[in-house]
Amino acid sequence: MDNSGKEKEAIQLMADADKKVKTSGSFLGGMFGGPHKVEEACEMYCRAANMFKMAKNWNAAGNAFCQAARIHMQLQNKHDSATSFIDAGNAFKKSDPNEAIKCLNAAVDIYTDMGRFTIAAKHHITIAEIYESELVDIEKAIAHYEQAADYYKGEESNSSANKCLLKVGAYAAQLEQYAKAIEIYEQVGSSTMDNPLLKYSAKEYFFKASLCHFIVDELNAKLAVEKYEEMFPAFSDSRECKLLKKLLDAHEEQNCEAFTEAIKEFDSISRLDQWQTTMLLRIKKTIQGDEGDLK
Amino acid sequence: MSSDFEAYEQDFGTLTAEITNKIGRIPKLGGEEKTQLVLNVDKQLEEVRELMEQMDLEVREIPIQSRGMYQSRLKSYKGEMEKLEKDFKRSRIAYSDEVRNELLGEDAGSSESQRAHLLDNTEKLERSSRRLEAGYQIAVETEQVGQEILANLHSDREKIQRSRERLRETDANLGKSSRILTGMLRRIIQNRVLVFVLGATILLTIILAIYFNVRGH
Repeated sequence: MDNSGKEKEAIQLMADADKKVKTSGSFLGGMFGGPHKVEEACEMYCRAANMFKMAKNWNAAGNAFCQAARIHMQLQNKHDSATSFIDAGNAFKKSDPNEAIKCLNAAVDIYTDMGRFTIAAKHHITIAEIYESELVDIEKAIAHYEQAADYYKGEESNSSANKCLLKVGAYAAQLEQYAKAIEIYEQVGSSTMDNPLLKYSAKEYFFKASLCHFIVDELNAKLAVEKYEEMFPAFSDSRECKLLKKLLDAHEEQNCEAFTEAIKEFDSISRLDQWQTTMLLRIKKTIQGDEGDLK
Repeated sequence: MSSDFEAYEQDFGTLTAEITNKIGRIPKLGGEEKTQLVLNVDKQLEEVRELMEQMDLEVREIPIQSRGMYQSRLKSYKGEMEKLEKDFKRSRIAYSDEVRNELLGEDAGSSESQRAHLLDNTEKLERSSRRLEAGYQIAVETEQVGQEILANLHSDREKIQRSRERLRETDANLGKSSRILTGMLRRIIQNRVLVFVLGATILLTIILAIYFNVRGH
């Protein structure tokens, strides 16, 4: 279409805006039309960035947005600056994750400065997602999710906080930080079990906590299961609880086949997801490991 | 004479045995074979009757002293023959398992059909249990979907509550700012009035000053 035309227009606009900013730097310009010119330049940057977006030139669009954001900072428009940084981050997401994270971090700082923690938390989640998917840096992702959860807790949005905490827990367990994972799951489980809307999910959290206990130590798992049953009677009726008991028994007897049998039976009714399968596999290895020791 | 009688007796015996045999088979067969067999038995019964008549004549030729034994034997043979005839008549209209089987279209051998029955039943049971399992699976999936939806609803609820709070705050802020603006407007008007009044006073003073000057001369 006329995307290439738009791109040329956009580059032209950028050049114009640059000139405007430069001229406003000189003394006379600062005296007479300074602020006005800079504002105009800012607007031109934004328009140029939008045109780059239309032409799908994400890098250039991101750069343009960054420029606009810096000018806003100069003009002490914190809100606008942060919004421009976010736009830049979104544009960079599609091409250069590192740049995106830089922009998003800058935006988050501005927001926390202003005291807008909710929206800062939301963007922490975005950053964490980028770490999760594109850069595969689980540690940093966990850190950001934790920050987001803290901010949400501060703003009393427990649901969103729980969502983040669950992700932290899942990754922590994957990285074998079981104590942390157990704590998180227990916390989330006990806070949701009273809420009439959420109590149906509580049993799943207790199940996950018990699995983590299990990997650490079998005795712990038994005590934990009893504790959860006491706290939350509905847990004992659930199929997950029955599965746990069977697994505990199989583990006691070091019976690998009974273990696999129980898991297969559970899986035939409701599929086990990736995380659970990994955990169960680790538990199974401990059984086989024990057998190896005995031999 | 008596040897003839004995020969007749033997023939009678074999014939009746055959006839009984055939009578036994008649109900099981049907159609062509049945009519054939029926004709057969008919013929044999005819032979038996002829034999009986000949035995009768023989007995009459025997002197009266030894007739008694042969007569009693003859009577028993007659009785047997009548019984055979009755049986024969009954067998032609007898019901048998065969007819029933033909009606219901099953094959012979009850053990075979029982086996097939059992297999059928086992298959039906298996099918039902498979359907139940599938139904249970669907129920569990539904429960999970429900869980997710509830969690989403909860978080949406919090978002809506937050937005409402913010909206109230914004409303209050807007009210405040509108009051401030009205205050500013009032002050501007005041200032302008003041400026006009001052300007008018100064003008008046100047005019008065000039007037007194001119008057003073």
